[in-house]
Amino acid sequence: MNPLNTSCKKATYLVSKKEEGKLSWLDSIRLRSHLTICSLCRKFESQTGFIGRMAKHASVNATLSPEAKQRLENAMNHRP
Amino acid sequence: MPSSLLNPDQWVNQYADALYGYTLHRVNDAALAEDIVQETFLSAWKARDTFKGEASEKSWLFTICKNKIIDHYRKKARDIVQPLAERSATDGFFDEVEHWTQEDQPADWGIDYQQNIDNKEFYQVLEGCKKKLQELQQAVFSMKYLEDLDSAEICKVLGITSSNYWVLIHRAKLQLRGCLEKNWLNIK
Repeated sequence: MNPLNTSCKKATYLVSKKEEGKLSWLDSIRLRSHLTICSLCRKFESQTGFIGRMAKHASVNATLSPEAKQRLENAMNHRP
Repeated sequence: MPSSLLNPDQWVNQYADALYGYTLHRVNDAALAEDIVQETFLSAWKARDTFKGEASEKSWLFTICKNKIIDHYRKKARDIVQPLAERSATDGFFDEVEHWTQEDQPADWGIDYQQNIDNKEFYQVLEGCKKKLQELQQAVFSMKYLEDLDSAEICKVLGITSSNYWVLIHRAKLQLRGCLEKNWLNIK
């Protein structure tokens, strides 16, 4: 098992494990040596890290329609 | 009575929109989000005597809401009969030697990935792309990134193995990244 033979598919899979600190010693060598030579997978790592951060950051400023609020009020008024 | 610390008559007025926005972001379905908000209020009312006033009324309601959302993911995962293994085959993204295909290889986005961006279009595209994920991928992604649950908890809730989990996260990331690149980079 030559660590330099790690494929892009495998390396991108390992990126998530790394993110959660779940990489084995051998896999971390595999990933590190692959990322050294592969700019595409380095981009994948940066971009998906960015996406994860942004997903957390995002908020939806949705408001309920007056009808929906009325339905909620009704439900609350009939609470047991 | 601890429940006198609560003000249930004001809940809809004060918290319904905030809970709805929070829920909609996580379940991507307006009618379902409304149901979850309603269930949150009713469950909170039933559990009013357990409120000790240690947290604020607002954060107590959000905790209940969050648990409702996780329950929803759990039920959803039970309904999905699709075999996971088939979905994890090398469909797309990589060629026969597992190298990026020309079509799917990451392009340069021309931004600093360490910096957050405050861009409405980006968030809209991100939401749209999340909706396109397969249901289980969506659940895994939301639980990991929005609820901050660790992989062991997510596996337990969804009843999946850890190798299923890593495959789902891998596919979700590949798809979200590709979708954002196609749909956001063009309008940036």
